[in-house]
Amino acid sequence: MPEEPAALVLVQGTLDMLILKTLALEPLHGFGITLRIEQMSGGVFRVNPGTLFPALKRLERDGLIAGDWRTTENNRRAKYYTLAARGRRQLRDERAAWGRQVAAIARILEA
Amino acid sequence: MPLWRHLAAGLRGLFRRDRVEADLDAELRSYLDESVGQKLRDGLPRDRALRAARVEMGSLEAVKDEVRDAGWERHLETLWQDLRYAARGQGRAPGFTAVAVLTLALGVGANSTIFTVVNGTLLRPLSFPSPDRLVLVWKTHASEPGDFSIVSAPEFWDWQRQNHVFDSLAIFDSAGKGYNLAADAIGRDAEQVSGVRVTAQFFRVLGVEPFLGRGFRPEEETLGKDHEVVLAYGLWAARYGADASLVGRTIRMDGEAYTVVGVMPPDFQFQFWSGPRQVWVPAGFTAGDQRRNSNSFVAIARLAPGVTLAQAQAEMATIQGRLAAQYPDDDADTSAAVVPMGDFGLTEVRRLMLALLAAVGFVLLIACVNVANLLLARGAGRKRELAIRRALGASPARIARQLLVESLSLAVLGGAAGLAAAVWGSPLLVRILPGYLSSIAFRPLSGIHVDGQVLAFTLLVTGLAGILFGVFPASGSFRRRAGNPLNERGDDQGGGRGNRLRHALVACEVALTLVVLCGAGLMIASMVRLLGVDPGFDPARVLTMRVSLPQINTYYGPPVHARFCQDLGESVGAVTGVVSTGAVAHLPLRGNAGRGFFLEGKPVPERSETPGASYSVACPGYFRTMGIPILEGREFTARDTLASEPVIVINQAMARRYWPDEDAIGRRIRMGIAGEPWMTVVGVVGDVRHWGLDSATRPQFFRPYTQAAWPSMTIVVRTTAAPMSFARPIALALARVEPDRPVSNIGPMIDIVGASVGSRRFAMLLLSSFALLALALAGVGIVGVVSYSVAQRTREIGIRVALGARPGDMVALFVGRTMVWVAAGLATGLAGSLAFMRLLGTLLFDVRPADPMVLGAVSAVLAAIALAASYLPARRAASVDPLVALRSE
Repeated sequence: MPEEPAALVLVQGTLDMLILKTLALEPLHGFGITLRIEQMSGGVFRVNPGTLFPALKRLERDGLIAGDWRTTENNRRAKYYTLAARGRRQLRDERAAWGRQVAAIARILEA
Repeated sequence: MPLWRHLAAGLRGLFRRDRVEADLDAELRSYLDESVGQKLRDGLPRDRALRAARVEMGSLEAVKDEVRDAGWERHLETLWQDLRYAARGQGRAPGFTAVAVLTLALGVGANSTIFTVVNGTLLRPLSFPSPDRLVLVWKTHASEPGDFSIVSAPEFWDWQRQNHVFDSLAIFDSAGKGYNLAADAIGRDAEQVSGVRVTAQFFRVLGVEPFLGRGFRPEEETLGKDHEVVLAYGLWAARYGADASLVGRTIRMDGEAYTVVGVMPPDFQFQFWSGPRQVWVPAGFTAGDQRRNSNSFVAIARLAPGVTLAQAQAEMATIQGRLAAQYPDDDADTSAAVVPMGDFGLTEVRRLMLALLAAVGFVLLIACVNVANLLLARGAGRKRELAIRRALGASPARIARQLLVESLSLAVLGGAAGLAAAVWGSPLLVRILPGYLSSIAFRPLSGIHVDGQVLAFTLLVTGLAGILFGVFPASGSFRRRAGNPLNERGDDQGGGRGNRLRHALVACEVALTLVVLCGAGLMIASMVRLLGVDPGFDPARVLTMRVSLPQINTYYGPPVHARFCQDLGESVGAVTGVVSTGAVAHLPLRGNAGRGFFLEGKPVPERSETPGASYSVACPGYFRTMGIPILEGREFTARDTLASEPVIVINQAMARRYWPDEDAIGRRIRMGIAGEPWMTVVGVVGDVRHWGLDSATRPQFFRPYTQAAWPSMTIVVRTTAAPMSFARPIALALARVEPDRPVSNIGPMIDIVGASVGSRRFAMLLLSSFALLALALAGVGIVGVVSYSVAQRTREIGIRVALGARPGDMVALFVGRTMVWVAAGLATGLAGSLAFMRLLGTLLFDVRPADPMVLGAVSAVLAAIALAASYLPARRAASVDPLVALRSE
């Protein structure tokens, strides 16, 4: 990687949605989530641990995700987060709302 | 569900803190490991991968802090820290803490105690099931619709037959009566107990059934089938050892056999115009009771399901209107009023309690002002400490919160002490001042105790107080400070904002104190004037006691026990130290019965203008014993008997009313009941206050007991020394001639005078105590503020003295400055008093709420106290040695 692009600040509230989305594919541990978001956004979004872990704690307490300790492919122990049923519903709702929002914003900008 | 999860997770964070922390630690470490692994896979050498990962991660501690902040338990943790910090601070300043807590304890304690009484007398619903369905039914007259009259048995029967709005309706004898329980073979002494005649549905109306046996049956309302009794739990337990087999057996009351049919549960208490009743007896209506104009019963009812008060009112008014048309002789122009039982007789209580609550509220405000001043003074001393905390990164909000936590923790300590004071103080209050409180209808004293509501009230008051006195110091932390407080000396020179605030608080304190003082002053002035009223008799050294004399026709006809007066005179008159003795049906100041009558030789008036007067019955010797002057003619003698001419003694008011320009002696009247004889006036006596010292005297006439019976007579005995010391010899002398009629309610007449001003005495004593408390708090507050400002300005004083100011000037400076604020407080307080004293209303007697004498006197007292309180600490300013003062720091 040559010059690292300045990491974009996530729109307030979108981090939770992104976390839920990454977990919708498969259970991941903390670093896995960071990596996946970075990969999926083409390196635009970087989530640092100071933001990620409080978000994970909140989501866990809201019952949207559940964490449990498992062994990684490298044979280390890590806390994996799984999307709960409530989280799946939440993701669906947020996605729909997000889609409408983006479409509306795009229409305004393109007008 | 999520709430529960949050709660559980938060609690885990608090109580399994180590595990939660270890978990977070492991998770972050694994994150770092994964991050490093990723970088190695990207081809970075190990040391650079490690460093890069650490840089991306940032400070581990910072991340952990962020995570901890995401949970609610974090707030609790900081609160806990603040509390521990506050406790350490308070521990370091034990004097300050003690003064603040004590001040608050006094304020909160007074409030909780008074609230306990208010709660027990006004707020608590009646202690019967569904108390909101209970009503009283009164008869009213068109002339005075606000005046409620008791009812007669025939009216009750008509109401009972015709109404569709009550689930149940009952009446009880308004006067109640003492019953003489006979001494028995197994050593129980003769005892007089307080009882009341009731109709069959009485217990059903109140919604409480006997817990042993049964209540009364309708047929027992008939005379001759009424020899049954239901006992109060207390009497059953104390006198009969809680013997369940008593039910169905007979006991002897008033020399006759009564079958015990039931025992009421322990929490059932019934009181109306006197303390709780111990026995209930079926009505057994006598011939006298059965007259439609024989109004002697109180009607109580339980609304039928779904019926509103307004519906009941409408129907009862209709029914009584019908009766008025049907029986114009007795019921013309009458209607009926249905009122909630829980509201009965509370108008004056409400006024009194409101005044007391206001007074204690002010006392608490004064206490808060004092504590606020203490905190401000202490806050000034802590400026450096707080500046250091700010320099270390604490936000103003954080510091304000810290200060509020400190205030609230002080408040909680004070509140806890105050609650303890109420737990201890409210029974004490009930014990010291029972007369007034025990006379509230349907509200037994046992209702006055600390309960959940009192606890909630105390908590609320404590919290409000804490916020109130905490807000001044806390708001200071948001203020931008000029200069660097770290470099500043501990003092703020030349007064400034803090000093002005403290003095303004003194002004508030003075204003509040003046209002409380005015209340107390007006009550004291009322009492002085009230007790200065000539009652019309001489209560000193007179002993009174009640004896119950069973009658067949309770209030009419010749006495069953015709020798009572003679026996009394012979037995009690012989006791050494007894000057004279007599007896009367109605003691002065205790209210009276009334009777209508016709005057001989005058035309029979329209029904609504029938002459009437208070009516009572007396034994020979009564007027002499009470020191009531006989103005004309004679008093009763032993020669007035059933065989001789019927006679009456009238009071001056009656003589003036009905024979204004003639000699009343020898005139005759006849009561408006068929078969009553003409009665000749043989004496005119002085007027006596029968309805209270604050009520005008009314026309009154007396019949001799030997010619007209009364079921309960009060014996009066004039003695040569302290009357209570004769109680036993007199009771013994009576017991020899009247073994089955024990006396009760033994007490000096002077106490009855005292009890008659009970509500005012109650208000006066409490308001005076609160006023003293307020005065003391205000004095302490002023001393505190002045000593603090003298201490703060020691350097300035030193400089001034060094430049030639005389020490006396310095004292005058401080005293004068304080007194300016005190004067402002006095002015505000006077204005406030004018507004608040209306609260006292009818509690005042012969004193206007804005009485200039009282207001002037209390202002002078307060000003003097304030002067002394500012002079004492200001004297220290005179003794400042300029050299020492300049060298200090």
